Amino acid sequence: MLLEYARLTSQAFAGIFAPLLGQRSWRLSALFNQMVSIGVASLPTVALANFLLGVVLAIQGAGQFEKLGATDMVANLVAFSILREIGPLITAVIVIGRSGSAITAELGTMKVAEEIEALNVMGIDPVKYLVVPRLLAMIIMMPVLTVLGEGVGLFAGWLISVTSLHLDPIFYVNNSIDAVEQKDLFNGLFKSLMFGCVVGTVGCFYGIQVEGGAEGVGKATTKSVVTSLTSMLFMDAILTALIYFV
Amino acid sequence: MSEAKHNSPYALEVRGLSRSFGSRKILADVNFKLKHGEILIIMGGSGCGKSTLLRHIIGSLKPDTGEIYIDGTEITKLNDRELSKVRKSFGMLFQTGALFNSLTVGENVALPILESSDVSSIIADLVVKLKLELVGLTGFEHLKPAQISGGMKKRVAMARALALDPTLLFCDEPTAGLDPVMTAVIDTLTVDLTKKLGISAVVVTHDMTSAFRIATQMIFLFEGRVIAAGTPDQIKNNPDPILQQFINGYADGPIPLKLSKDDYLKRLMQA
Repeated sequence: MLLEYARLTSQAFAGIFAPLLGQRSWRLSALFNQMVSIGVASLPTVALANFLLGVVLAIQGAGQFEKLGATDMVANLVAFSILREIGPLITAVIVIGRSGSAITAELGTMKVAEEIEALNVMGIDPVKYLVVPRLLAMIIMMPVLTVLGEGVGLFAGWLISVTSLHLDPIFYVNNSIDAVEQKDLFNGLFKSLMFGCVVGTVGCFYGIQVEGGAEGVGKATTKSVVTSLTSMLFMDAILTALIYFV
Repeated sequence: MSEAKHNSPYALEVRGLSRSFGSRKILADVNFKLKHGEILIIMGGSGCGKSTLLRHIIGSLKPDTGEIYIDGTEITKLNDRELSKVRKSFGMLFQTGALFNSLTVGENVALPILESSDVSSIIADLVVKLKLELVGLTGFEHLKPAQISGGMKKRVAMARALALDPTLLFCDEPTAGLDPVMTAVIDTLTVDLTKKLGISAVVVTHDMTSAFRIATQMIFLFEGRVIAAGTPDQIKNNPDPILQQFINGYADGPIPLKLSKDDYLKRLMQA
C-alpha cells in the first residue's frame, strides 16, 4: 500500500517536473479547470471559516487579556496564530473536505466506469493525464487560498477588536505588524504547500485504487478524507517542531 | 490494407494461456489464432473467463503462463512503454463504452489522436468528423455522453476505438443492454468496418443471434477452457452437449446451475 502510494507520488512529481526538463508541457486547460474547481470554488468556504476563526480568536483572546489589563494584545494573538498556524490548518481542513474528497470520488467513479483502463488501452498514461493536473492545481491553490483566508481572518480579528473591544484601528494594525515577522508568513505558506502535496497525492491515490462499484467509491472517499486529515496534522506537528526547534 | 504491412499471418495468436486468482483457475491452457481481416467471437456463459481473457489480450492483466502475439509481437513480457506502443495498433470498445463524461462526444473521439501525436486541433477535428461519419453520428460532436442514448454511446466508443486507425478491434459485449434494432446496427457496423477498413475484430459476447450474424471464427469458453472452436457452421453442427445447450439457450442440460451433490456436501461440512 505504502509502496504503491510512493510509486504514484514519484510518477506524479516526475510528471510535474517533466516540462521543466523539456518534455511535453502541462495540459494547461486541464490545469486551469482543476485550479478553478479546487481553488476558486473553495474560496467562499475558506473565507467564511477563516473569518469565523478570526472572530472567535479575538473574542476568546479579549476575555483572557482583559484580566491582565492588556486587551490591546489581542492584535498580537490574532496575527500570530492566524499566520503561523490557524490559517494554513483551517484552509487545509476545508480543502480536504471539499476538494480532496471530490478528487477521490471523481477518479474512483472513472475507475469503476473503466475510463482509467480505457486511457491505458489508448496508450495514455492516467498519471500524466489525470493525476498531474489535479496535484499541481492543489499545490498551487493551497498556498493561494491560505493567503486569502489569512487576510480574511486578520480582517475579522480587526473588525471585532475595533467594533466590540473599542481598540484603535491604526494602533491595532501597527500592533499586528509588530507581532509577526515575515518569516512567520513564509513558514505558514511552506506548511500549506506541503499540505497541498499531501492532500493532492492522497486524494488521487485512493481514487485510482477504487475497486468494486459505488460502494468502493464511498469507502475510498472516506478513507481519503481520514488519511488526508491525519497525515496533514502529523505533517503540521513535524514541520512546526522542525521550524521552531531546529 | 495490404498483406505486406503485416509482420505475421495472424493478427492475434494466444498460446497456452493460463491464469489463476488464488486457488481458482480462471483460464486453463487457452489456445487460438486469428487471421487478418477475420471476426472472432469469444462466447461463453457469465463467469467463464471471457472478459478475463480479453483483459489479458489487451495487456491489462499478465498471465501465469502462456504467450500472446499481436501481429507477431509477444506482449506478455513487455514493459509499460513498449506495451503502450503496441496498444496504439488496436482499439477497444468497452462494455460500458467508458466515454469520459466531462468531455463532449467530439473531444472523446479526439482524445487518442491529440495525445498520441502533435497534430493540430484542426486536423484532429477533421479526423473526428470522419470517424463519427463512419458510425453514423455526424453532427453529435458537441453533445456530452450523458445527453445521448446507450446505443449512441456504444457507437461513439466505436468511433473512439477507431480513431488511431487500428489494425485490430476488441469489443467487450458490444450489444449488452441494447434493443434488437440497435444490436443489429452495432453488428452491421462491426462487419462493415472490418470489411471497409480491412481490420480484424475480437468480440466477446453471449448474445448468440449477434454472434452468428457477424462471426467468421468462433471459440466457446467453458470453465476457463476452449471446448469448441471453428467457423459458425462448424460450431452450429458441433454435437457437444454443453455447446448445444448454450447456443440454443436451454435451461436443462449439462451446464451446472446448482452445486453438485458432492460439492454441496463438501461446502456443508466446511461451514
